[in-house]
Amino acid sequence: MLFSAVRKHEVVNITTATRVARVDGFVVCPGPPRVALLRLGRVSGPGTLLAWEDLQGFGPDAVTVADDAAIRPPRDAWEQRAEDKDLEILGKRVLTEHGTELGTVTDVDFDPETGRVTTLITTSEPIEGDRLIGLGGYAAVVSA
Amino acid sequence: MTAPPPTLLLRARELTGRPVVTLDGELIAEIKDVVFERAGGRIAGFTLRNPGLFSRSRKDTVPWNGVHGVGRDALMVTDETVLAPIEELAPRQAARKGDVLDDRVLTDNGRDLGRVVDVVLQSGTGLEVVGYEVEASEALGTAGRRVLIPLPATVAVSGENLIVPAAATEFVAEDLTGFGAAVDAFRARLREG
Repeated sequence: MLFSAVRKHEVVNITTATRVARVDGFVVCPGPPRVALLRLGRVSGPGTLLAWEDLQGFGPDAVTVADDAAIRPPRDAWEQRAEDKDLEILGKRVLTEHGTELGTVTDVDFDPETGRVTTLITTSEPIEGDRLIGLGGYAAVVSA
Repeated sequence: MTAPPPTLLLRARELTGRPVVTLDGELIAEIKDVVFERAGGRIAGFTLRNPGLFSRSRKDTVPWNGVHGVGRDALMVTDETVLAPIEELAPRQAARKGDVLDDRVLTDNGRDLGRVVDVVLQSGTGLEVVGYEVEASEALGTAGRRVLIPLPATVAVSGENLIVPAAATEFVAEDLTGFGAAVDAFRARLREG
């Protein structure tokens, strides 16, 4: 499933059957590469992050949670950077570990069951998700 | 997981301004200069400046053994712990100023080939000085033009003179395309003796 296909999807609380937020973005962490957090918009509380572990389900039409409390503020410096979009993977330049740029990330293919990142879609070539070894403010670094 | 990196020829001066990036994807500095070891024509490392428009020189460096990879677009390091103070990279003041730019290239039979304007590096599994770009003297028949002279694996350096084997003049190239092959052919010739 592509990030682009899931963005703007509703986040629904299945206990109250209400729409509680909207998916605004994804936070990927390497080693092994996976979706660690969703970044949400149109939230009612102060938090905008939803950890993958706290998801109830990731369906083709909506993301579900069991409890509004799953949507929370950042817990550490890394999550703060994630919320500030500093670690946003879309639009980020891709560098090989040998210092060659391979374009920028335009989309990400992932497994909605596990959150595992399977492919980085870039402006040059598709890159196998397992090659992602680092994702920082400046670049996504991939093994050669 | 790691395939051997492709071989790439670079002019040392082109590295100035390249970002220094950790394998975590963080930008930590920009390359200010390449520091050469006087002896052997090897690279000691890189001095740094802070990224950005009003960049300040930094007192730390990337020593040669801290380089993970150098490519067209960035110098990669494992993390910030590889940075070392400038004193460790260039213990003597002489070494700090000791780059080879402007030095005269002499053949071992005493011909002056010209003055060094840049250094050609080959990055791949390592980073190696493989040639000098010189502003050619009359001895090369292309006087005034910039040409690339291949180097043997080790170079004798003394004072302001860089001594290269006379056979180097047969493997001179005008641009980086094909220069890698010229270096290989030249070194093969030297091994044959």
